[in-house]
Amino acid sequence: MSLPPDERPPGRILDARLHLLDRQVLDVDGVPTCTVDDLEIHGLDGSDRPDGTQTAVVTSLLSGAVLATRVLGGRPPASRWHRIRWTHVTDVGTTVRLGVHGDALDVTWTERWVRDHVIGRLPGGRHDPG
Amino acid sequence: MKKVLGLALGILTAIGGFLDIGDLVTNAVVGSRFGLSLAWVVVVGVIGICLFASMSGRVAAVSGRATFEIIRERLGPRAAGANLTASFLINLLTLTAEVGGIALALQLASSVEPRLWIPVAGLAVWLVVWRTKFSIMENVTGLVGLTLVVFAVTVFLLGPDWSTLADQTFHPGVPANEGRDVYWYYAIALFGAAMTPYEVFFFSSGAVEERWSAKDLAQSRLNVLVGFPFGGILSVAIAACAAIVFLPAGIEVSSLSQIVLPVALAGGKLALAVVIVGIVAATFGAALETSLSSGYTLAQFMGWSWGKFRRPARAARFHLTMIVCILVAVGVLMTSVDPIAITEFSVVFSAIALPLTYLPILVIANDPEYMGKHVNGRATNALALVYLVIIVAASVAAIPLMIATGAGS
Repeated sequence: MSLPPDERPPGRILDARLHLLDRQVLDVDGVPTCTVDDLEIHGLDGSDRPDGTQTAVVTSLLSGAVLATRVLGGRPPASRWHRIRWTHVTDVGTTVRLGVHGDALDVTWTERWVRDHVIGRLPGGRHDPG
Repeated sequence: MKKVLGLALGILTAIGGFLDIGDLVTNAVVGSRFGLSLAWVVVVGVIGICLFASMSGRVAAVSGRATFEIIRERLGPRAAGANLTASFLINLLTLTAEVGGIALALQLASSVEPRLWIPVAGLAVWLVVWRTKFSIMENVTGLVGLTLVVFAVTVFLLGPDWSTLADQTFHPGVPANEGRDVYWYYAIALFGAAMTPYEVFFFSSGAVEERWSAKDLAQSRLNVLVGFPFGGILSVAIAACAAIVFLPAGIEVSSLSQIVLPVALAGGKLALAVVIVGIVAATFGAALETSLSSGYTLAQFMGWSWGKFRRPARAARFHLTMIVCILVAVGVLMTSVDPIAITEFSVVFSAIALPLTYLPILVIANDPEYMGKHVNGRATNALALVYLVIIVAASVAAIPLMIATGAGS
């Protein structure tokens, strides 16, 4: 008698909804970057709306305006998506870790805007707390 | 030796930092109307906040995740967003009450109209949030807040009839001239004053700010378990002062000057000066904690970079949130609303919002993915479930009672 073949794919099994959505994303230095507001999924044949009959892969983490559509429903225009490519992800635990600096990513543009236009201009804003 | 000093410092700050404008006002109002017949609520509230704070501190220390990151992760964007909206607004209400409290205390000291003090108080709060180190901020306001011990001294100086006080405390009942619904309304207010949600946001985020690890758990538990009960004793002392001076005369406390009057009667000018310093420190400390909590909750929900340990430019949206909140608080107060009235509402709304933060923390404290071997023990969970019932009951009963009693009037 032989054992039935193990059909589970090798490696850790992640539930996208449970282990990815709404988790905190930290960059390579451990600085909070964003929360996983949504995921971009592509079918293996390249289609951007996989219908469930084919294997789909997570290609990007999404953040920003897409949060509003998670709350209210709908789908933002693709031009408003801010992506973090899945290849940047190094680890998934209680947080999602990236291998790049958060400052270099599109998703943190509001942080940079507020820093450059408001907080960085106030006296003391660029110094360590004394 | 250094360890002992650190321990003493932690406990002393916990005592001094326990009281805020909500505790001061609610306890004095309750004391003047119900004597010590609601002192049991302070005991229930203090045990509850000890449990809640030690649980959220443990979650933060072990997992490195603060309260609202966890709420978002567990509840998803919709439910967590509703939770954030409620918690954020109530926190803003509390911040407004605290800044108003600073201005009223400074008015007592200087006789200068509070609306001149409000912008000064707001600016001072922002400057500390902007520039001061977290540990210094915590320790200074906590230690200066210890001067509120003068309320406990006052109880003895007033030479009360101890048997009456003991009778009120241990055989609580509704006074003849007050309705049963008003009694329960104030019970909820007192519970909300002791168990304010911002304390938990602040406590758990503070644990991340100060980089606690599982090693520091014993110390943090001791700070809470020793510090908060002493803070609770001060709460009861405030109620006792009001009960001794105002209850027999049938006067209801409605201003800060009345809250400090027993101290002035018993201890004269010097005691009055000390108590004003204490109130400024307590309200200032709480204003700092609530401003930071407004930044913590929003930043953690959105996944922004946050924390006072970073330079402001490295947590820009977090700092901008706090600036906006302080400006809103100052703006609201400049319309001449009565900070005491705001306080009375803020403590009741705190009680209403409490289950929103309590339940997710309780769930995570039992989740081995986050907590490893530090999950809740059986005894903690048993107590936590009892409190879940109390907290939900208080939250559900609060709005009907508020309407039925006309907010306690």
